[in-house]
Amino acid sequence: MTDLSRRDFLKLTRDGFLYLSGALAFGGLLRFLSHETNSARKTEFDLGFVDKYPLGSRASISEIPALLIHTDSGFTALSLTCTHLGCTLKPNETGFACPCHNSSFDAEGKVTHGPAVKPLKALRIEITDEGNLKVFTA
Amino acid sequence: MRPSFFHHLHPPTIPTAQSRWRYTLGAGGTAIFLMLVLVITGALEMFYYIPTPAEAALSIQTITYLVPFGGLVRNIHFWSAQLLIVVSAVHLLRVVFTGAYIPPRRFNYLLGLALFLISIFLNFTGYILRWDTGIQWALVVGTNLIKTIPFFGNNLYTILIGGSEPGSPTLIRFYTWHVFGLMIISAILIGWHAFRVRRDGGIALPPPSLRADPNRISRFELVRRETLAMILTSAALIILSIFSPAPIAAPIRLSVLQSVPESAAAPWFFLWVQQMLKWGDPFLFGILVPVIILLILVLIPYIFPKTLESELGRWFPKSNRLAQITLAIITLLIIFFTILGSLPTS
Ligand code: FES
Repeated sequence: MTDLSRRDFLKLTRDGFLYLSGALAFGGLLRFLSHETNSARKTEFDLGFVDKYPLGSRASISEIPALLIHTDSGFTALSLTCTHLGCTLKPNETGFACPCHNSSFDAEGKVTHGPAVKPLKALRIEITDEGNLKVFTA
Repeated sequence: MRPSFFHHLHPPTIPTAQSRWRYTLGAGGTAIFLMLVLVITGALEMFYYIPTPAEAALSIQTITYLVPFGGLVRNIHFWSAQLLIVVSAVHLLRVVFTGAYIPPRRFNYLLGLALFLISIFLNFTGYILRWDTGIQWALVVGTNLIKTIPFFGNNLYTILIGGSEPGSPTLIRFYTWHVFGLMIISAILIGWHAFRVRRDGGIALPPPSLRADPNRISRFELVRRETLAMILTSAALIILSIFSPAPIAAPIRLSVLQSVPESAAAPWFFLWVQQMLKWGDPFLFGILVPVIILLILVLIPYIFPKTLESELGRWFPKSNRLAQITLAIITLLIIFFTILGSLPTS
């Protein structure tokens, strides 16, 4: 066994406790700050009666934000949140463009220009028994 | 006379060479003065600013357009913050380009670097406090960037944002960091930084036997020069404030994620990052590259050849060329990317 003087042992113990309590306090601080104050985000949006969106219409739903498209094959709701870092896309002639870092997407939501890599999300749609259109973001 | 912190920072005499404008550029002292202006104008703004999403932007309109001298206070706060970034950067360049960071000043170099970083965070949090359509994409992009950090990105996001998307918990957190957390840390670091300047023997010079200029100036002369710098800075602040008011935009109507922004540009000191984000992986360009640059700055006094003591006290000493070239390249790249990022996109 190496010689550990009484003084060194006490110093080591003291420093150990100091660092340990510091680390515990820091961990506690992180836990303290990690409480989520927002109530759960709204994921369900009622868009009203289906007939408001006739065949061939494109309605932008700014509160999601998404674009509701009605074609022969039915309804699609395309999320307008850029898959790169979350800015909201602007529709243009060929599809959608992002004002933040120049990503662009075609009308189906496929990436046509980076830096985004993932295509736009198609949101789930439901038509209720009363004929109301509902869009779900999660 | 009883010694005070003032006397600590102002010894009866100091070598003339330590207070030469063309050596020090007066940058460090000016930075401290700007911080003081920021504390005072910031405290005044606190009398009117309301840190809630519904009222933040409106309360800023009140300060700007209704409160007597409110616009002036806000403009001076804004311009001091922008000048602080510029002056701190100049101060950092000066210290590296004169090789002054070698021991015993190495520790103070690190303190200074920490202060620089904190003033960038202070600037960014202050910018977000506007909570109007001019800042919302910077907020969304900046916070989503945190999520791209592997392993703990999502936890860090919650800790900083206080929820799953930017909202009132985010604003109150940014406010608390801005007016309290970061403020306290920087106040401590400034005191320490200034204290260490004197402790380390003042501004870097060669050892006394190798000094070309044996002259000294008195405390009064030093204070006279400091006052001159303060007057010039104040004049610059007032002129800027009158002719170029701080930016303001329409309030955010819906939640942050939903309303249409007026501007998609990052704050000017992050334009270079925004430009790099256009090139690819967000974690690589948005987090890793800036962290690596910071790491290089931290390591400058440790890994590069040291400045010779005899070469201290002047610009571009031969002995620390490598450090100068490295920092010059980094600076030029950042300036170049900033220019690229500020060009209108076609
Ligand atoms: S957020 Fe759309 S390109 Fe970056």
